[in-house]
Amino acid sequence: MAVQKLYPRGTVKRIVKAHSNRSVSKNADILIFLDYIIFMQELMREASIRSRKSGEKNISANTVRKVTEKTLRKFQG
Amino acid sequence: MSTSTPNARARRSPFGTTTPSGDTTLTGLQRLPSHTRYPLTPSRLVTATTPGTQRSASRYTPRARGVGAPATPYGLRARQQRAANTPGRDRRRSGRMQRETTFDILRNLGRALAPVSQPIRSSPQEKPEPIEEPVDEFEQLDNEPEIERPRLSLPIQESEEEGEEASPEMRPPRMSLAFAEEDMDITYQSVEYPRDTSIRDRDRLSMMSRATGRISGDFDETRLESDGGDETGIMGDDDEAEDTMMSGGDFDRGGETEDLGRFHFDLNFPSPAAPPLEDPTGGDMNDMEDFELSTAQPPQAPSDDDDNDVGGDFGFGLEFPPPASPSESPGIVGGGLRDEAVPAQGKQKKISRHGIPVPNLPAGVVKKLATRFARSGAGSKAKINKATLAAIEQASSWYFEQASQDLAAYSKHAGRKTIDESDVITLLRRQRHINNSTTVFSLAQKHLPKELQQDMRLAMPP
Repeated sequence: MAVQKLYPRGTVKRIVKAHSNRSVSKNADILIFLDYIIFMQELMREASIRSRKSGEKNISANTVRKVTEKTLRKFQG
Repeated sequence: MSTSTPNARARRSPFGTTTPSGDTTLTGLQRLPSHTRYPLTPSRLVTATTPGTQRSASRYTPRARGVGAPATPYGLRARQQRAANTPGRDRRRSGRMQRETTFDILRNLGRALAPVSQPIRSSPQEKPEPIEEPVDEFEQLDNEPEIERPRLSLPIQESEEEGEEASPEMRPPRMSLAFAEEDMDITYQSVEYPRDTSIRDRDRLSMMSRATGRISGDFDETRLESDGGDETGIMGDDDEAEDTMMSGGDFDRGGETEDLGRFHFDLNFPSPAAPPLEDPTGGDMNDMEDFELSTAQPPQAPSDDDDNDVGGDFGFGLEFPPPASPSESPGIVGGGLRDEAVPAQGKQKKISRHGIPVPNLPAGVVKKLATRFARSGAGSKAKINKATLAAIEQASSWYFEQASQDLAAYSKHAGRKTIDESDVITLLRRQRHINNSTTVFSLAQKHLPKELQQDMRLAMPP
């Protein structure tokens, strides 16, 4: 995947910093974002499975909502 | 006549070559239906004096059997007539009754009983009545939760209809049995405090509601929460459960307590609803490394029953304004670490539980990732509309919150002030994304562009 800029690193750092009240070391945000990518993959996978099961053509917001909790639980460290 | 029977047989046996099945015919006669049997009754055999007629009759028999019942109705009637005309038929039959097979016995029994016995029919009048009553009771019992349930889902729908793209108000996931934990010992809480998910969940809720800033939606949220608590039925004490629930709601409503209070009065909610404000706050204070305080809280939580000025009523030595009360300055709460969101600030600015504003991940990034992974499943074109994107963004903000809290716990455990790469590795490992066969680097190779991989390698010499 040739993406020029995958994500704003500063933003991710700030998000994590805000939530954890701790500073984030220089390159840890890459790994965090890696985990986030995996999370998104899982979320979309679950959502698409579910939407296909219920016969929708596209993934709807409701489907995502239903899947969110399950996926988040999976990603609980 | 009875003596003549063996004779007839004996006489017939020499002719056995011509009628090989004569004997079997006789024995098998009983199994035939009556009309076919009659022409061949032994009485007929006996009455036929000449062997010739007998032979003809016996010769006739196997054919009749082979063909089966009389081929034509005329034949049938002729046989019946012949049988009816035969004298002494009944006597002969009675003499040969011993030969009857069990099938005949059963059939006779059936005939004897047939006029008497009624066809088995489930009586419709009796059955429903005894059954209906218990069914009704059960249904009533079943109906009660079913009546509750729609309330759970309804507000979500409403909020969705109201503003789809604005903010998806889904219930924040409850990561653990939040309300069971509140019942538990304080020691348990304090020991487990980094992972105290009840606090975490409530904060998540708070973040969300602050983001929405809509009163009606907020109230729906509150009700939702309380319903959820009731539904789980984890807590033995209902009142307390509701208190805490409501507290969650009030606490979260940043700046809209008055409205909520009005709601309480209008709807006759139990008055202790509002005060438990303290519980979440106490949770925060737990986080702020003051454990002693939390011991004081649970008993006090139900004690403040004034709904509206919750602000002044805190029984603690500490003076901190309840985060939800609008009268107090939306300033510092719980050791000065928690900032309250100004509702007017709107959706974009979220405040973390540590009082630090949380930026949003740009929608473009989220969308790019989402389409990338949605497409991989569902063919080439996977469209993600606004509402879906909003839901995904909400999910990812929750994800970041959860992950950051986990990371903070790891780094704290390691005695560090900063979140390190090793913490993230730990997280990944605990999420089972890294194991013996998968390394961080292979994951990174799969998902990240080259430059980021390089940076990552620099940070972590393998």
